[in-house]
Amino acid sequence: MLLIQFLNALQFSMTLFLLAVGLTIIFGLMKIVNLAHGSLYMIGAYVGLSIWTYFDSFWLALIFSPLITALVGAFLYYILFRHIQNADPMKQVLLTFGLIYIGLDSVRLIWGTMSHSISAPELLSKSIILINNPYPSYRLFVIFIGILVLICLYFILEKTVIGAKVRASVDDPEAAKLLKINTDKILFYTFSFGCGLAGLAGITVAPILGVEPGMDMEVLVLTLIVVVVGGPGSLKGALVGALLIGFVDSFGKVYIPQLAQIIIYAVMALTLLFRPDGLYKR
Amino acid sequence: MRAVNYNPKLRFQIMIILILLSIIFNIFGGYFTRFFVAEIIILSIFAISLDFIASRGGMVSLGHAMFLGIGAYATAILSINYGIPPFYATFFSILIGLFIALLIGYFIVLLDGIFFIMVTLALGEMFHAWVFTSELLGGSDGITGIMRPDLSFLKIDLNTPIIFSFYTIFWLIIVYNLISRITDAPLGRNLDAIRQNSERVSAIGGYKKTYKAIAFSISAGIASLAGSLYVQLNGFISPELTHWTVSGEGLIMIIVGGIGSISGAILGASVVHIIQHELSNIINWWMLVIGFGFILVVLFMKDGLWGLIESIKKKLGY
Amino acid sequence: MALKLTNLYKSFGSIRVLEDINIISNKKECIAIIGPNGAGKSTLFKVISGIVKQDIGNVEFNNKNINELNVEKRARLGISQSFQKNSLFLEMTVKESLMLACSHKYKTSFNLIKPLIKNNFISDDAIMIAKDIGLENYLDVQSEFLSYGLQRQLELGIAIACNPKLLLLDEPTAGMSPAETKDIITLIRKLSKDYSIIIVEHDMEVIYNLADKIYVLDRGKLIFEGSPNAVKNSKLVQKVYLGI
Repeated sequence: MLLIQFLNALQFSMTLFLLAVGLTIIFGLMKIVNLAHGSLYMIGAYVGLSIWTYFDSFWLALIFSPLITALVGAFLYYILFRHIQNADPMKQVLLTFGLIYIGLDSVRLIWGTMSHSISAPELLSKSIILINNPYPSYRLFVIFIGILVLICLYFILEKTVIGAKVRASVDDPEAAKLLKINTDKILFYTFSFGCGLAGLAGITVAPILGVEPGMDMEVLVLTLIVVVVGGPGSLKGALVGALLIGFVDSFGKVYIPQLAQIIIYAVMALTLLFRPDGLYKR
Repeated sequence: MRAVNYNPKLRFQIMIILILLSIIFNIFGGYFTRFFVAEIIILSIFAISLDFIASRGGMVSLGHAMFLGIGAYATAILSINYGIPPFYATFFSILIGLFIALLIGYFIVLLDGIFFIMVTLALGEMFHAWVFTSELLGGSDGITGIMRPDLSFLKIDLNTPIIFSFYTIFWLIIVYNLISRITDAPLGRNLDAIRQNSERVSAIGGYKKTYKAIAFSISAGIASLAGSLYVQLNGFISPELTHWTVSGEGLIMIIVGGIGSISGAILGASVVHIIQHELSNIINWWMLVIGFGFILVVLFMKDGLWGLIESIKKKLGY
Repeated sequence: MALKLTNLYKSFGSIRVLEDINIISNKKECIAIIGPNGAGKSTLFKVISGIVKQDIGNVEFNNKNINELNVEKRARLGISQSFQKNSLFLEMTVKESLMLACSHKYKTSFNLIKPLIKNNFISDDAIMIAKDIGLENYLDVQSEFLSYGLQRQLELGIAIACNPKLLLLDEPTAGMSPAETKDIITLIRKLSKDYSIIIVEHDMEVIYNLADKIYVLDRGKLIFEGSPNAVKNSKLVQKVYLGI
């Protein structure tokens, strides 16, 4: 039983990580808190739904929906975010707030208000027996995807030139500005990449949680908590925050169900009380 | 964004015009218009409460519907479960809102602007989730059968729509007065100073956290009043009242109206609610329109309708 | 004595910014701290005002240890500062800014009902301070639209308005024209009769005119202390500071 709960918590954490890392990178680079991040997650899920419906292939959806979400992100960057980089932080956050409304109604207009479900691909539809307990193999796959992204991110950030530039700009924006590496191109790619990760989270979660309007805000709130707890702009913080919130939430629901609704908020409150800048201050 | 429009004279003029308009609509309108006027007035009270902390304290809250909900649920439970007359229940609701906000405020008021938004959004959603599952609060069904205050000793029957509308207008005038006084008073000016230059306020020995916490709880108290009136108007509550979209609409109202001007909040509440109402009769994708409109206002009309009026007045040479 | 610093150390990472600083300032005394760029003057100021906390050492004010007090609390005890870069309330008028600073002195800052500008005794006080700093003709001008020199005067005025026992002045003449500098020296000299002052300044003329005692700081250490004349004649100081 403990193993099952552990895996469930890990799966949830990995989904949160995919979302939080995108949000936190964008914050670190551009100092913009993108409240529409949840909407991109929802768009990822819905695009995946369409691909899955028309081509009857989950794998196509898994590949193309993050790409399409990244394209949506690129489009948003091009028409909006590019122009508001140096604007007042409050103005930026209000603009992204306006995007939530647009995202929500666009999705309703295109896909309707019904909730949908996507079934996991054949290969992953069976359960695996883990120490006498059956466990859905799809969830293991989600954990695998999360860890894969984690490794890729680590590799990109530590071993490639563009990664080094991103890291420099996140860690020390002043120096990056002096060295002129904080270019429009890097911002563009990073922003789109972060949005793509949100889309990936959306499509990977769809077979577990389903696809419905309103999924954007639920997840946005959790992601914001992860980022606040982990420390905004910190990549390590995104991972640790996601694990912390994911585990506290999953185990809280099992062991103290009465408090399940408020326990992660209590974690956030405690963090704010003792570490107002999050666990990993930049 | 300048974030604050401080012009007591224009503030008063616009307020008078708006109150007169609402009285005229109330007297000559039908049953539905009167209900609609009361709804707008209550939303205006809510918008003023948001406007006060957003502009004076630099605290833009995306979880203020929580206090609307606290006021509404407190009124319902105090009057139904404990038999407290609704009129007194209103006052108790305000106090409960004040007190809860003081507790929360202690943790969050010193957070930087965008983090304040993130945290209030999260808190508001937590409250929403809790309301949905709470048996005491009626879960997803909400609570029905809430009575309006009995003011028969004043020979007033609040169950008549026209009277109830006037009752809400009476509260709006009180709230307007209170907030404009606080805005001009030392506390309000200190809050304004914190927004302009928070370091310097520390350096001259200001009580930054206390000022902000007081402002936050006053604002929450007013939002609770709005919630209490709302539940009296409708006679029932649904947990949807605490949804983030309600806080979001409040935010849209104050931005459209012109943040920090108090009267602008009333103006914004009226305009946004009317547009929303009219649009939702014609199309079912009004949120898309509101979202676009909001973005355009933020991008190109930073002082909202208030700024528009101010510049027109300037052009006309007043 | 008003302020006593003993044994102060402060490092940022591996860089030691202050090392074994001992300073004593007596009541109504004007003390100057000089030194080349990067000597640690600003950090020392921040340690005194409470913006930065020292690693080791004690800060005592009126014989009371204030190590644990933050900026706000120190300000309430009477340590008031003017900043090197103007730090004003740009959307407020001169009078409002001064009244706001005064409102803390009179404990009226929590008042919710009576408009700030209608508090007559605060307003009288603010007008008096405006006269002191030479801004009496600009009372209703918004701070943002004052000339740089006048803003500098207001910067000083706000520091005075909160009724300080000790004034910390961080380069009060920074960026001023010679004429404006003259005005502000006259002003500070007038103030030094009423307040204890600690001043950081680049302009040696200003210092020689004002200070009772001068401390010379170099690479985080105090290398010399004495009267203006002693500093003028010290070979060591000239070598470090004037680069001769």
